[in-house]
Amino acid sequence: MATRAVEVANGVPGLAPERAVTWPKRTKARLSNGLEVILAEAHSIPKFHGELFFRSGNAAVNHRAPGLAEMTATVVRTGTTKRASRQIEEDLRRIGADLSSGAGADTSAISFAGLSEFAEPLLALVNELAREAAFPDAEFDRERRQKLEEVKLERTQPGFLASERLRKVLFGAHPYAQVSPSEAQVAAYKREDLNAVYREFYTPENGLLLLVGDFEAQEMLNTAEKIFGAWAGNKPHSNAAAAPANPRGRRVHLVHVPGAVQAQILAGCHAITRKHPDWVKLGLTNSLYGGAFNSRLVMNIREDKGYTYSPRSGVNALRQHGYFSVSAAVRNDVVAASLTEIFYEMDKLRSVPVPEPELADAQNYLSGVFSMGLATQDGLLSQLSTVALNELPDDYLETYRQKVRALTPEDLLATARKYLDSANMQIIVVGDRAQIESQASLFGEIEIYDAQGARLS
Amino acid sequence: MESTKLANGLSVVVAPDTTAPVVTVGVYYKIGFRLEPQGRSGFAHLFEHMMFQGSANAPKMQHIKLVNSSGGVLNGSTSYDVTNYYEAVPSNALERVLWLEADRMRALKVDDENLKNQRDVVKEEVRVNVMNQPYGGFPWLDMPPVAFRNWANAHNFYGDFADLDAADLADVQAFFKTYYVPNNAVLLILGDMKAEEGIALAKKHFGEIPAGAPPPFGDPTEPEQAEERRGSVEEKFGTLPAMAIGYVMPKRRTADWCAMAMLDQALHGGRAGRLHRELVLEKQIAVEAGGGIDDLFGYNGPTQMTTRILHKPEYSSEATLQAFNAVIREVQENGISADELEQLKVKWRSDYYATLEGGRGGYMPKYGLMHLLACFTLFDNEPQMVNTILDGFLAVTREEIQAVAKKYLRNANRAIVLRTPVKTGLPADAGAKEAA
Repeated sequence: MATRAVEVANGVPGLAPERAVTWPKRTKARLSNGLEVILAEAHSIPKFHGELFFRSGNAAVNHRAPGLAEMTATVVRTGTTKRASRQIEEDLRRIGADLSSGAGADTSAISFAGLSEFAEPLLALVNELAREAAFPDAEFDRERRQKLEEVKLERTQPGFLASERLRKVLFGAHPYAQVSPSEAQVAAYKREDLNAVYREFYTPENGLLLLVGDFEAQEMLNTAEKIFGAWAGNKPHSNAAAAPANPRGRRVHLVHVPGAVQAQILAGCHAITRKHPDWVKLGLTNSLYGGAFNSRLVMNIREDKGYTYSPRSGVNALRQHGYFSVSAAVRNDVVAASLTEIFYEMDKLRSVPVPEPELADAQNYLSGVFSMGLATQDGLLSQLSTVALNELPDDYLETYRQKVRALTPEDLLATARKYLDSANMQIIVVGDRAQIESQASLFGEIEIYDAQGARLS
Repeated sequence: MESTKLANGLSVVVAPDTTAPVVTVGVYYKIGFRLEPQGRSGFAHLFEHMMFQGSANAPKMQHIKLVNSSGGVLNGSTSYDVTNYYEAVPSNALERVLWLEADRMRALKVDDENLKNQRDVVKEEVRVNVMNQPYGGFPWLDMPPVAFRNWANAHNFYGDFADLDAADLADVQAFFKTYYVPNNAVLLILGDMKAEEGIALAKKHFGEIPAGAPPPFGDPTEPEQAEERRGSVEEKFGTLPAMAIGYVMPKRRTADWCAMAMLDQALHGGRAGRLHRELVLEKQIAVEAGGGIDDLFGYNGPTQMTTRILHKPEYSSEATLQAFNAVIREVQENGISADELEQLKVKWRSDYYATLEGGRGGYMPKYGLMHLLACFTLFDNEPQMVNTILDGFLAVTREEIQAVAKKYLRNANRAIVLRTPVKTGLPADAGAKEAA
């Protein structure tokens, strides 16, 4: 609750008439081997950005080993039947390119950017990584040892510990509960397991190639056919995991980090996927709550009270399930005060309709920021990948702003009541138990863990 | 691209581009944390926060609200020699944004309550980025006190909490009056507008702001360094030992500077870079070996090329340093091949284009172009250098790279900081290894 009256500005110039937002034409095609390709021209700089997605990630193989798809993607770039690791890295530099490979819960991807003049050699290397990765023994051993150090390191980061605990609490037995492997799980990875994931996931029928940048679309499509066309392979079998139970009742989960000088708060509840018809409504509700600098939560616990530097809320959409979350790293002595405000703002949105002017401001914000994706090649690529991977309608980019602007205070009230599930929020607090336990336990029954995930009480 | 100077001394640079109906606006002031007042460490950054706390006609919260509700995003940042404020908005909000920036250049209207509020916010910023994070602030906050002797270069840029607490409103207004004058700033407008429209709007909103006295700048010069400097700091959360090695850079815009930038790429350029390749991939001593020159175009005083290494606990710091030294010695003795130099130049050109287009994390179109134009204007009064600066780097020869490796990568020109874990991840009976 703001304790200080908000003053208004004097003499602000009005907005000029809006200039039309025109999204570039997308060329969609399927290569002869079934690989889906989407291209868009963007001539801002003589470069292009691309991403080769496979529609399977860590969740699909979580039962074999957590993080297996990520480890597979990591080792993919370390050698092919034709090029050793060092050669790959030097060849990338030779054509001025950047490349990374990785996997999330639902997808694996090779992402790249380079000079347009070297489009062909870069795509040829991407093709080689997707089809002829060799998983050299020495590279696998090294990357596994490297991963062991990374998983140790992330357990010392408050943000990681909070999100790991929240995902466990929200998703229980579902693969989405697992954001990262344990040291023992990494140590048990086998080269053969990575190779099996590679053979199953990295196929044209499971793939999606996105290219955005300074090229002529038809010409680029021909190049893609020439380079990727001979690759064959089927869609992997996939069994969707059983829906996770939705935790009932507010509970507090404290992760004890001795000596922490700040408390990381993260609270969340089940929400929706990107395909859900309520997505835009929840997006706007989130933007009003804590999704923008000008949002209620930021104005309250940062600009009014000074409890925290970067509070924010967001809707996290995974393919099968989504969740809403709110986070803030706060001073140890204001954990209870911060949680009080976090719930106050949530409950207010659930009970009082948003005033029209505030709604209009938030609508302008969301539609303006959405169009900024137009201005850069990677911004456009990310918009196109959201549409394609979530199988959103072809006119999604063109109609999004209208959808945002059509929403009413009643829509937002209903959305907040449905998805800002205040009574069932799961509260994670990472910090020094002695400093924060009594404050946190005011908000629900408390469970306490150490950084390794062992239950302390 | 066009540039001009208003009667009050404000530089204005406009770079039209109608690709997207978006315009990026920046105001850069030529003052950063390097030359903030002694006894007020962290003040330049705290002050940056105060610039969002209210001006004569846009009281607290209105600045942020007016930009967001126009469909735009905004932020500011403080670095060594400049502080910037920037917005990216749909182009129909251009005049509104210029009005807001002009309003806060004209007069800051803040009170004690605002200052207390932002002091609290800044402390949480320091906690979340430094004090409560493994390797937080390493090495950008740990290196300067070891490497430099002049307070300007050696102090805590984020600020000691006692200094932040000591800052009062009089400091805020004095700093504003001294450094935030139009004749110490540049306004940049990039994107969807016509050049003459941009310049006319700049005159309309900024033209009447009175010029101030030319700001006095402290002397950031460093005494000549004659021997290797070493220091160490405790790491509270992480279990891997860390080390940073920084070499003092040549003066900017010299031939040596261009050659050092290419050498930096040879050493630190990603997975193909020599340090990552040798220490992480080949010898497997380090878990991370990276870094380089921080913001090559954005500094205007003493700086270093700094390598950050996190290494396995079974290797001692000395063994790790020996392995690092071997990489440096190799390039000093044998230079780099013609093929490697050619690769570096193609990558350099590619990265430069990306810088011009790119934003910070994708949300600020043209941030990079804005930054270069601003720094070239404030430091050199030559914004058009964005069109020619590449040439100097692409002309660097193998001989020049080997020469700067010998001249600057000397032990007497470097400082080393160890960040040593309080907790070790190593089992008690494990023996130390020697680097191969």
